[in-house]
Amino acid sequence: MQTTNPRQRLLTLLSIPVFLFLVVPTAIVVPVALNDSRYITFPPEGISFAAVAGFFADKAWTSALTASLQSAAIAVVIGVILGATAAIGLHGRKFPGQQAVVGLILAPMIVPTVVLALAFYQFFISLGVLGSILPIGLAHAVIATPYVYLTTRASLAGLNPALVNSAQSLGAGWLSVFRHVYLPVILPGLVSGALFAFSVSIDETVMSLFMQSPSATTLPVKMFTDIQFNLTPKIAVSSALLVTVATLGLLFQVMFVLKRRSTARMLPLAVSAPN
Amino acid sequence: MTTSVISAAASTRTTASAQGSIELRQVRKTYGDVVAVDELDLVVEPGEFVTLLGPSGSGKTTTMMMVAGFEEHTSGSVLIDGKPVDSLPPRDRNLGVVFQNYALFPHMSARENVEFALRMRKVPKAERRQRADSALERVGLGKMGDRKPRQLSGGQQQRVALARSLVFNPAALLLDEPMAALDKRLREHMQEEIKTLQKSLGISVLFVTHDQDEAMAMSDRIVVMKDGRIVQSGPPEEVYNHPLTDWVASFLGDTNLIPCTVLERKDGEALVDLGGLGLGRVRDRGVTGEKYAVSIRPENLKFSSEASTDNCGKASLVSSTNLGATVRHRLTAGGHELQVRELSSDATGRPAPAAELFVTWEPDKAQLLVLEQ
Repeated sequence: MQTTNPRQRLLTLLSIPVFLFLVVPTAIVVPVALNDSRYITFPPEGISFAAVAGFFADKAWTSALTASLQSAAIAVVIGVILGATAAIGLHGRKFPGQQAVVGLILAPMIVPTVVLALAFYQFFISLGVLGSILPIGLAHAVIATPYVYLTTRASLAGLNPALVNSAQSLGAGWLSVFRHVYLPVILPGLVSGALFAFSVSIDETVMSLFMQSPSATTLPVKMFTDIQFNLTPKIAVSSALLVTVATLGLLFQVMFVLKRRSTARMLPLAVSAPN
Repeated sequence: MTTSVISAAASTRTTASAQGSIELRQVRKTYGDVVAVDELDLVVEPGEFVTLLGPSGSGKTTTMMMVAGFEEHTSGSVLIDGKPVDSLPPRDRNLGVVFQNYALFPHMSARENVEFALRMRKVPKAERRQRADSALERVGLGKMGDRKPRQLSGGQQQRVALARSLVFNPAALLLDEPMAALDKRLREHMQEEIKTLQKSLGISVLFVTHDQDEAMAMSDRIVVMKDGRIVQSGPPEEVYNHPLTDWVASFLGDTNLIPCTVLERKDGEALVDLGGLGLGRVRDRGVTGEKYAVSIRPENLKFSSEASTDNCGKASLVSSTNLGATVRHRLTAGGHELQVRELSSDATGRPAPAAELFVTWEPDKAQLLVLEQ
């Protein structure tokens, strides 16, 4: 890109350090993970996949990875169901106390995680179900739901309410209305929300730490507890793994969701186009 | 090909033409304290084209939504084919509905849109494709089945919406301002097409519009609504020529409203005192109210060179404007401002402004009505 305008050139020059400041600390884990050393060091002394192989050979680390993926799966499934149904149920409706209901759905985004963690810890311990990955997954679902709700609500904004009436008048029951009217419209929002739910759960540390047990230790918790005792490069490998997953998720979102949404946004224009 | 489809469809309809009536009995709809529709009695006979005409907020769309089942009425009863449908959800009412912006499913092709109702009724795939294609052909879109709605023009989308609402042989058709989004020329064309289609299918239609020209052009009967109530109902010519109130008269086109006092009424004719315009004989449909006026459409007021005793007033011309097909004359007579409209081809040798002349009218073309405003 040619920047002829001096102001633009200055802006570009200023942007580069900001960009580096934002990205380098995150990206640095990749060379560290591939470092040919028994400890976490920088700069790397040589390139080797020994630490990566060591990570996948160590059962303590792979089971932490499995635990993280399991809790993320629970969070995605429950979060998508709750968030999407809440968005559809509240769509196009006005009733007293509606703002309070929306506030309640969004509350987990605002309430400090440590408060939620303590609450969940007490709740699940009183039920006597701590010690498995299920309560962690459920807690993650609670903080994932508002993301799905918001992305679904955003995609519903483009829905023509007459489509619902029209489907009903043609003989569609609620299930058909959902499948043929709502689903095509909210699909980008659902995918986007599911990705958010996944990354929220994969990344979540505080609640997982409160509810951890030898049989339910997620990857961030394992990283946190290990780093206090030894600086194994396996920690860097798990960081690199998380960064890779997050980057792939973002790329998928840019390629699939944003593309679909931009075409969906152009639809109303096409509909109202003159003859 | 197209005509054979129409006649085939028409013959299947005629066997069922005893059905398709819509009836509303004392229907009332309130939103909190606001009464949207009140004391509404309405019958659409099988095969009849009935238009609900009124300004926005008159309750016409609410009425249609109650027939379709999207709005629940507060009290009263809705009957389709003589059977109460008050507790039936929209999907079980078997009515074809065309919405203002067509409400086509954007991710489905035209054919899939038309097939939708058949799919919901579990019609086998081959049959539903064949029926959808013949419905599309019936509206002149035989080759457009694979297009998505966004690839179709406004008029074409409208036709798809029509085909979609007709393909499952509904008891009746509900049309909610279906031509509002089309330009004038296309709108007039679609009016004729819908009317032709409706006649050939013999299907009952409940039509909602705020456009009086559209109502005049299409309806067997116009039901004029105002503030949630029916103010007049009848064939288009009757509602136009013989309005019952000044509001109806002004809502359906231009008119001259001349306040009057009634001197004598008998046999559908009244003798009225028109103040400065003298005495006049006008048509009387027996309306009663506190104040009265006479409505004479501008095209029914004629120039006359000589005076006569009744139905005649001395006037002076203020201005004449050529509107192309017609000429509009403004004049004052007996303290009233009047409008006369004549065809441009008849307006030769028209008098100069400020000239003294007379206006006259036939008793049958002047209507006694109640002055509400």
